[in-house]
Amino acid sequence: MTLKTQPVQVATGSSDHESRLVFEDGLLVAVLVQLSTDHASDAGKWFLEAGFGRADDPHAPVFDNLDDALAWIARQLARDVVQI
Amino acid sequence: MSNPLVRKLEGFGPLSELDRTVLERISANAQLIGPRIDLIREGDPPDGVILVMEGIACRQKHRANGARQITAYLVPGDSCDLDVALLDRMDHTITTLSACRVVRIPSDVVRRLLKDHPTVARALRMSTLVDEATLREWLVNVGCRSAIERIAHLFCELLVRLQVVGFASEDSYEFPVTQLDLADTVGLSNVHVNRSLQELRRKGVIELKGKTLKILDRQRLKTIAEFNAKYLHLGTRAAA
Repeated sequence: MTLKTQPVQVATGSSDHESRLVFEDGLLVAVLVQLSTDHASDAGKWFLEAGFGRADDPHAPVFDNLDDALAWIARQLARDVVQI
Repeated sequence: MSNPLVRKLEGFGPLSELDRTVLERISANAQLIGPRIDLIREGDPPDGVILVMEGIACRQKHRANGARQITAYLVPGDSCDLDVALLDRMDHTITTLSACRVVRIPSDVVRRLLKDHPTVARALRMSTLVDEATLREWLVNVGCRSAIERIAHLFCELLVRLQVVGFASEDSYEFPVTQLDLADTVGLSNVHVNRSLQELRRKGVIELKGKTLKILDRQRLKTIAEFNAKYLHLGTRAAA
């Protein structure tokens, strides 16, 4: 699995703008946003603003760096999902 | 400070001197309990009616993966379900969010109170209806409102509820709830809660200094939240 990122600015309604679109095989799987100084000790860390499909998790952690965030997304995409 | 249980119940109708005395007696000797202590856990057999006299406690449910939803705040004067003794096991956990003063009223004392003091029984039943109405409003909150609207709604509600029991001034109250607790209350990430709080501050609607929440522009906060205190069934007391 290869994840590709594309820099983008997201209007989050806050000072958090610096962002990355994350693609897997050309399909958008997640939007990561870097947290601004508004977030005190979390400033500079990366937040899963949106995850699609298996990358969707309302309780995803905040990531120390982009590599950690991408590794987490890769694991989410690779996990087995219970078939309904 | 006057007794928050008496203040709350009196709001639903006048109480006799005897009613007030009984309520003061059963709510005396509240125990001081630190923050983040489970008063009773999901799966435990019920152990009397838990009554909060100071501080804020909550009802909460946990998922196996550790995720949590807070489904109610218990503020001074609030108790867990009156009829909890009818259940074999608790279906949720009750935990202190801040340091609290708490009374555990034995079930047989509650039964006698309901039987011998019909006015108190009526007020407690009203209180249960308000708890249910509040839960419905919270469900609307997580299902139908945006991040900032959810938080604004909660802040409006707490101002009214805390004013009734004498724990809020005209525009301020102690809000000893962490940002993470708030996130689990309104079903948002910590990041979204932080952004919403910052936005409310930027707009000049609230001010959070330490644990004191001051509402600078109550009308604007109410408008953001589309807050209408009717579900709290306070009659003429709902000044907010």
